[in-house]
Amino acid sequence: MRKRNLWIVVIVLTLIAAACGSDDDASPPSGDPIVIGIIADLTGPFTTYGNSLSRSAELAVKEVNAAGGIDGRPVQVIVEDIQTDVTATVDKARKLVESDDVDVVMGPIGSDANDAAYQTVVQEGGKLLFYTETYEGGKCDPLYFSFGAVPAQQIRPMIPILQDAYGDNVMLFGADYVWPRRSFEIAKPIIADEGGTVVSELYLPLIADDFTELVQEVRDKQPDYIFSLYPALWGAALKALDDAALLDDVGVGTIFLGDPDYLGITDLAENSYTALPYFTAAEGSAAEDFLAAYQAEYGASEFPSGGEGVGAYNAVWMYKEAVEKAGSTDPAAVAEALVGLSFNGPTGKVKMTSSHHLEQTINLVQAQNGEYVLVDSFSNRDPEEACDL
Amino acid sequence: MALVALPIISDDRFLIDRFGRYFLFAIFALSVDLIWGYGGMFTFGHAVFFGGGGYIVGMLTTRGGWFLPVPFWLALAAAVAAAALLALALSYFVFSGKGALRGVEFAVVTLAVAVIAERLANAGGSISGGQNGILMQSRLGVPGVISLHRGYGFYALTGLLLVATYFGLKWFLRTRSGLVLRGVRENEDRIDLLGYEVPLVKRRTFVLSGALAGLAGALFYVHEGIVSPGTVGVGASTLVLLWVVLGGRGTLLGPIIGAILLPHLTASLSGTLLDTWLVVVGVILVAVIVLFPAGIFGFLTRPRKA
Repeated sequence: MRKRNLWIVVIVLTLIAAACGSDDDASPPSGDPIVIGIIADLTGPFTTYGNSLSRSAELAVKEVNAAGGIDGRPVQVIVEDIQTDVTATVDKARKLVESDDVDVVMGPIGSDANDAAYQTVVQEGGKLLFYTETYEGGKCDPLYFSFGAVPAQQIRPMIPILQDAYGDNVMLFGADYVWPRRSFEIAKPIIADEGGTVVSELYLPLIADDFTELVQEVRDKQPDYIFSLYPALWGAALKALDDAALLDDVGVGTIFLGDPDYLGITDLAENSYTALPYFTAAEGSAAEDFLAAYQAEYGASEFPSGGEGVGAYNAVWMYKEAVEKAGSTDPAAVAEALVGLSFNGPTGKVKMTSSHHLEQTINLVQAQNGEYVLVDSFSNRDPEEACDL
Repeated sequence: MALVALPIISDDRFLIDRFGRYFLFAIFALSVDLIWGYGGMFTFGHAVFFGGGGYIVGMLTTRGGWFLPVPFWLALAAAVAAAALLALALSYFVFSGKGALRGVEFAVVTLAVAVIAERLANAGGSISGGQNGILMQSRLGVPGVISLHRGYGFYALTGLLLVATYFGLKWFLRTRSGLVLRGVRENEDRIDLLGYEVPLVKRRTFVLSGALAGLAGALFYVHEGIVSPGTVGVGASTLVLLWVVLGGRGTLLGPIIGAILLPHLTASLSGTLLDTWLVVVGVILVAVIVLFPAGIFGFLTRPRKA
């Protein structure tokens, strides 16, 4: 009996030791590598987005290495799972900055995690932070760069099309945090300019357990369409509306529902519009090549998501070009080289503006008969961010 | 002992810093072990005190107007006081009079408190910062004299605090209150009939536990630089129970082990086994709990057959 217990202790301790021991990825064969740290939500509510972020970045790194690395140096990636959790974000960002001494940090997903990462990586650590997620905009720092879409890029061109399709009365529905709230503040004057009317504005918790309020509000206010910034549980919200037989009478527009999210809820999302940088339906050989490379790497049933995937992919390649232009990995020098830099990515030409936000093309798709169909393409949209550095 | 030697063995400043965080987790775990392990009061809401400590410091040091913001050390004292007061107010409702709650009823009340706290934090607008929480710039230490905010200083500060907490609780459990508390865990009715002031002892213990959790939480979230709604919720409250169970409930040293081991395992694995770490941690947890019901420490110190 005692002997058996001893064995159990040995096995458990070995497991733990093995788990804690192997802390480093297999690094490239030779040279002094440039290290990219990635903080991604690989577990928790943002898993879909986090996966897409880290996979797209790793794909780009693989391609960069195959093309000779950065300035002849190999590129190494260290991915850390931040678990859709702010405390884990701080811990992992500090690990990458202080222990791994990475050259640049990319990620995370949530706005709250972005705040935490910004404080840790940029303010505390003095390193570059590349945020690759669709977000509310508004951050402005010499070492901070946004590669995702910001509200003006998606919302301004999208509103007139939604009004033509559905009518002038819109309900703004969002998760109760800063991305939806600030985006709606930017949307309101745009809607007013287009002659639309906001008939309702509703926020529910990011992980709501009940959508009665949403159903009730749609019944009472009878909007022509819902403009939704409710990621993570959007399928559950649509289900509640469908159960109440409301989905046939109300249109839907979103700015977050990329391919991987959409594929899980094609029935519920039928007819709805979504604006994001990348879709598999996007036009151009670059978009097709990106998808082919992604699926060759991760499997034919895997799809990169619409914002963070292509954002991370662009970020890696533009980091390479900026380092080579600057001739150094010094954060300030790279930051200076990055401004004004253009890159031909999966969604066409993108350009880092002096506001440290990305000028890029946004695609608008509609769900028709279970698949996304390209409706319009808004070329080279200015981020309209008031950041003067 | 090995932990005292850690700064000598390792020169990884980040690792040292990470263990400082675990020491604060350990104080949090001790605060739960005190009421659950020794007093039999099972709680689903203790993160309200830990995260709440962070929120109080955050609000008092970053918000303007009235008499705000106040200096950090004052805010820290206020956080401990607020946590103690909340515990006192709660214990008047749940431990006193005819409707005194025990066992499951008490657990349900703490669960409700955690749910309410998380919603409040989420809905608190510019006061609590909503979903994004509060970013803090305060630094631990004495400005211009010594910094205890990161690395070795932080490790020393939290380590000393943990040692003090451990011996303080050891002492408390030997006092009359501590003995009555353990009696309550074994048989509350009998202790009550013997004439001991059960509600008073429970209240005293709960307030002590709440204040400890508040102190640890306030220091923890200042060190993190951010506090957000999830930190006061049910999820965070459940996590600390795991540390206590893993290490060994009612042993003091056990929960300290659990509060260091499990977070370190999670932090390490979630950077190496990206796709499977949750499963691996889950299996290890279940294995330990099934094989050593008394926890790691309970197993190591089990009475041996002669």
